[in-house]
Amino acid sequence: MLHNSLKMFVIMFFSIPLLFFASMPVTHADPLAAFEGMKGEIKISGGTAHIPVMKAAAKAIMSANPEVRISIAGGGSGVGIKQVGEGLVDIGNSGRQPTEGEVSKYGLKMFKWAIDGVAVVVHPQNGVKALTESQLKEIFSGKISNWKLLGGPDKAINLYTRDAASGTREVFWQKALGKGEILDKANVVVSNGAMKAAISNDPYGIGYVSVGHIDDSVSAVALDGVAPTMESVLSGDYPVARGLFSNTKGDPGPLTQSFLDFLFSPAGQAIVRDSGFIPVK
Amino acid sequence: MTRSEFLTKYSFMAAAIMSAAVPLAIFIFMALLGYPILTSGRLLGTLLGAWDPIHQSYGILPMIIGTFILAILAVAAAFPVCLGCAALVSDAAPGPVGRFLHAVVRMMTGIPTVVYGFVGIFLLVPVIREAFGGGSGFSLLTAALMLALLVSPTMILLFCDSFGRVAHTYRQAAAALGATTAQLFFFVVLPQARNGILAGVLLGLGRALGDTMIALMLAGNAVAFPDHVFDSARTLTAHIALIIAADFDSPEFRTLFLCGLTLYVLTTLLVLFVRLTMRLQGKRP
Amino acid sequence: MMRHTFKLFHIWVWGSTLLLLAATGTVIGFLLVRGWAGIGRELVFGETPVLAALMLQRPVFDGLFPAMVGTFALVLLSVGMALPVGLATGIYLAEYATGRLYFLLSLFFDILAGMPSIVVGLFGFSITIFLHHRFSGNIYPCLFISALSLAVLVLPYLIRTTQAALEAISPDLRLIGPSLGATRFQNIFHVLVPHSLKGLLSGILLAIGRCAEDTAVIMLTGVVVSAGIPKSLWGNFEALPFYIYYVSAQYADADELTRGYGAAIILLLLCAFLFGIAFWLQRRLSQRMFERV
Repeated sequence: MLHNSLKMFVIMFFSIPLLFFASMPVTHADPLAAFEGMKGEIKISGGTAHIPVMKAAAKAIMSANPEVRISIAGGGSGVGIKQVGEGLVDIGNSGRQPTEGEVSKYGLKMFKWAIDGVAVVVHPQNGVKALTESQLKEIFSGKISNWKLLGGPDKAINLYTRDAASGTREVFWQKALGKGEILDKANVVVSNGAMKAAISNDPYGIGYVSVGHIDDSVSAVALDGVAPTMESVLSGDYPVARGLFSNTKGDPGPLTQSFLDFLFSPAGQAIVRDSGFIPVK
Repeated sequence: MTRSEFLTKYSFMAAAIMSAAVPLAIFIFMALLGYPILTSGRLLGTLLGAWDPIHQSYGILPMIIGTFILAILAVAAAFPVCLGCAALVSDAAPGPVGRFLHAVVRMMTGIPTVVYGFVGIFLLVPVIREAFGGGSGFSLLTAALMLALLVSPTMILLFCDSFGRVAHTYRQAAAALGATTAQLFFFVVLPQARNGILAGVLLGLGRALGDTMIALMLAGNAVAFPDHVFDSARTLTAHIALIIAADFDSPEFRTLFLCGLTLYVLTTLLVLFVRLTMRLQGKRP
Repeated sequence: MMRHTFKLFHIWVWGSTLLLLAATGTVIGFLLVRGWAGIGRELVFGETPVLAALMLQRPVFDGLFPAMVGTFALVLLSVGMALPVGLATGIYLAEYATGRLYFLLSLFFDILAGMPSIVVGLFGFSITIFLHHRFSGNIYPCLFISALSLAVLVLPYLIRTTQAALEAISPDLRLIGPSLGATRFQNIFHVLVPHSLKGLLSGILLAIGRCAEDTAVIMLTGVVVSAGIPKSLWGNFEALPFYIYYVSAQYADADELTRGYGAAIILLLLCAFLFGIAFWLQRRLSQRMFERV
């Protein structure tokens, strides 16, 4: 009898919380439903690494609700922060954390929805697969200027770098190059996509790009023995990592908040994962 | 005159003055927004220095040099070809062929520069990279070749125009003396059309100086001073396009207006030269 | 000696022409070869059904339609703004202006004609900043500002062709109106302008072509990568030439690159068409003039 009571008690003990939770309304089950009946425009600009995710999210949202217009521009992290601070756009994306100065000057609110790394990339046919930090510094400062010094063919190394507004460049310069010099003769490209296109077309080129953008058209180079993959970035083994931020000036408005909610929702985070980044959730 | 005539004349004049005010307004805006640099005493430093934001140097000299080298290369490459083509179209080719070629050249002026840049990236850049072993393929040479193709139709049409202006009587006289087409061209047409040719070259130069897309897509955009034609370099026009997205009040941003003013002054000078040469020829442009 | 120069001359002129034609042919041929396969319904409309897209019911993703509509809107707006001013100015130059004023005005318009397009774009951008700070914080680079800047760009084309078309009218024709007692304006409006319509039209077509192909101006005044169909004058927009530039630098995959080729072909065809008709009209005009003489 006591045996049975105990059983009953245990069952009740465990089932009540279950019933309790089962009866709760499931909030935000469908993040797209949050857009129902909304209309207006969301202007987004800034980091180019974010663009594939922005485009996919915009496609999902605009397909479900054509009254919502989302316009996406690039420009780099510096541009995103500046433009959202000046009120030109609703969301300013950045591939680096806004500095304290920027946050206080514009009253920024930051939302980090992915983790990404910055990897050194070369052409797929390039035999060089691993570099040390000091080699990397010498390559980008121009001291090592020929592939033969690295065991490759006797061809000049073609350097590719990003423009000044780039968060990718900032992270690369600080963490991979240790604030070393980048030769001023390097070709300047304007986005992650442009870097990828340039490297995939130049057998003797070297550059750096967001890990999420890496596909078969370029080959990632291991740094100090660690290959840049989603796992190594997440675990911290690969040190050149950064968050992908969406920043707003002050608190986001309702439409913008819905967009940000979508990014953090399972659907949004799935897009993040598909784009090659590490979701925060 | 009557009231309505007065009204129409002055409304047309108002329109004309409004149009004429536009180039003035452009100059004023550039000067206004570039004002801090113009007056801060940093003007010379900006015009003559190197571009190195990390070390607080915002000089646009590398871009000025890049612009000049690119434009001069392009026009130099295009000139002999354009002259020959124009000679063919206006003199050496039989009538119908000449007219057909003239029409073809006219159609060529319609090809957008972004299309040239696009093809340049995927066709010319790999060729330059492999064939000449020179760098990444993005270089002044690559951009100059495409730019030459861009300005050629305009230059050819201008040359043809000035060849056409050579008085018929001169040609008849030369023919009566038994001159061949080559002699006719070199000894009669060319000397007469000298000023027109110069004007054509200057206008081609202006076009080459002012082009943005080819330079942006093909020249590499490096900030260093270009050493040789295989170097990646940046022009004033590409610089503006690249930096435009940066900070509003930063010194980098201000240099943009200086770039704009430089381009404005350069092209205006070219226009004035052209007018001068046409004036010397005794023709109204 | 003479035989040699004769031969050399002919080698030079024919060689140059063939070189030029070959180079241009290579450019166009390369585009066609690489891009022809991509041309089709999907290039323009992506996966959205054509009718739904045309009725503006469903947005088009991964297709050129928004960019094409954007270019169309740009052209309409900018030529619409530039036409009255350009026409009136051209008329003024041809019919009213004399001496000092004519010289000065012509000089200014030559300067404007030689202005690099990026400087015009920078001008448009500066106006935006100016208005943004002085008047309303709601003013950003947008469709209207781009159209305005493009209007500035093509203004000299319209002025010149109007002026040329009017000045080409024979003196006899000009006397018809006044001899019948018409005022100057009546003469212009009822006789001269209709007579030079072909020249005017060719100028308009040239201006349209220039607006459709320009990239530098719109890059600085409001065009973006992805914005859908332009729904308002004060919003961002897409455009065909910018799409081509963007894809060439930063194509995400082979599909996007093929779309880029397709876009280049479409733009090329559009400009060829416009310029072709414009030149045909101009030729008809000058033929007419020769007949008269």
